[in-house]
Amino acid sequence: MIVHVHGLGVEQITLYRLETLAARAAAAAGYPVLRYHARGCGDSAGDSASITLGTLVEDARAAAEEAKRRSGATRVIWLGVRFGAIVAAQAAVGRDDTAGFVLWEPIAKSMDQFRGQLRGMLFSSVAGGKKPDSTVEQLFERIARDGGVDVHGYILYRELIESCRDADLAAALAAAGEHPVQVLQVQQRGRLAPAHAQLLEALSARGVRTGSACIAEEPGYQLMSNPAWQSDALTRATLEAFRALA
Amino acid sequence: MPWRESAADLARARAEQPLVFDTAEGRLTGIYCPADPAAAAAGRCILMLTRPRSHRNRMWVECARRMSALGFSSFRFDYHGDGDSEGESGFHNPNTPYREDAVAALRAVRAQFGDARFLVLGACFDARTALSTFMDEGEHIDGLLFYAAPVMELDTLVKAHADKKDWKHLLRALGNRDNWQVLADPERWKYMATVVGRVARRSVPTSGEASNDTPLADSFVHHFRALVRSQARALFIYGDADVEYLSFQVALDTVFARLSPKERARFEVELWPGDVHGFLNIPMQRRSLERAIEWLSAFHPAAAPSGNGLTNAQHGEENRSGS
Repeated sequence: MIVHVHGLGVEQITLYRLETLAARAAAAAGYPVLRYHARGCGDSAGDSASITLGTLVEDARAAAEEAKRRSGATRVIWLGVRFGAIVAAQAAVGRDDTAGFVLWEPIAKSMDQFRGQLRGMLFSSVAGGKKPDSTVEQLFERIARDGGVDVHGYILYRELIESCRDADLAAALAAAGEHPVQVLQVQQRGRLAPAHAQLLEALSARGVRTGSACIAEEPGYQLMSNPAWQSDALTRATLEAFRALA
Repeated sequence: MPWRESAADLARARAEQPLVFDTAEGRLTGIYCPADPAAAAAGRCILMLTRPRSHRNRMWVECARRMSALGFSSFRFDYHGDGDSEGESGFHNPNTPYREDAVAALRAVRAQFGDARFLVLGACFDARTALSTFMDEGEHIDGLLFYAAPVMELDTLVKAHADKKDWKHLLRALGNRDNWQVLADPERWKYMATVVGRVARRSVPTSGEASNDTPLADSFVHHFRALVRSQARALFIYGDADVEYLSFQVALDTVFARLSPKERARFEVELWPGDVHGFLNIPMQRRSLERAIEWLSAFHPAAAPSGNGLTNAQHGEENRSGS
């Protein structure tokens, strides 16, 4: 049984179509799949201002339970997409039904996600011919003071940042147990990025079975494209990763 | 203020129902938000055309649930090749809207839930798709909310006017990235719009279709005529910094200008400061959403007769200074 754990904010949208296609490919290959929208995301109830790492993890666990109930499966493969990798790893802590993790361009540390969002916004200003009025650190100060900042039509909330300031993928995977991990890098570079390589080395050192694939494409995680980004290579690599875990 | 879900919103969320329906391009997936049974029924379903169906920052999700509390049902869905729907993905060209998908959605809602009267809304490609539904279902649609869509086909202009110095000059100017940056200046925009309008008035028809004697896209002109033939009201909203507004000004000077006073009175135009297209910042999102709720709410049979979109439309007022 595969449970997709989506990314945050606009990344849920930019990778949405690809998640749909990957889920259907997996289903066609015989894997039951559950995709869901966490509270405050997509079509679900809740508001974005109330999202914390805690609510995201609770919802992932509830999704896994529902997936098992509907499919009759006893084991869960977590497909963590970007920030969803951290959520999936934390959701697996204390459970005895995890078969492994497949991680799409995972975020290693939660602050990397937020820093990347803010940096992207500043780059966008520069590209538009405007001089940014703040640095990334000043934007973090503004979030702490005002409760949030507007990042391309999404508010990055203080509550979310504070709820996961120290969240770390490697630590969460370690806490979840010795489950196999497949990292699927999605970047223009053809070699494994240092952050992914370090994660896999650390897992291997603990005796965790690992694997990786490099998809040399760049979806532009913060940008909605027309048409929506798709990658046959990532879908294929995802199926291979599932087979490696099975 | 950003949306904070109320207990009523939560109840409306829990009342939503999935609806899957067939089209020639595959099975499409959507979510129907029924009108709150505790509210006085508006007797209208809002077809929200978006990509994906929740849209940026879930603004149409919020709209669906708040309109439900006011007695309106709504439906949001994924086009073929998008979101959770089947079908092949493709480039969304505003001049070739997904009319079949939208019409199929409207008919599926009618068949499944019994809604008979509709309001349609969208931005950019979705606005053009909303407009296209008047070709098939105009007699069942009471209102169109149309945000920041291009209405001109640049390729057609290039072909048709390649021998005209003015168009070549204009297109060269528009193709220069430096000029786009300069166009961030509203004064510069006014100048460019004036140039486009002047050139457009001198131009010949852009295609072999004799019925379209404007430089506007044929599809826009045909769908706009279907809107005019219907009895529906419409609100067109653009930002003065929207690239799309340039072509819409030509529409104002051509197809809008030819309407009879009675027809023209059904259509409102609002020009807001800044960028409406893309809803790329929270203040513009909130303003767009609140205006949508205000304008759509006026279609409720119990709506106040003044201070709403209907009154403005009836008087044909055009607000180009922002509101």
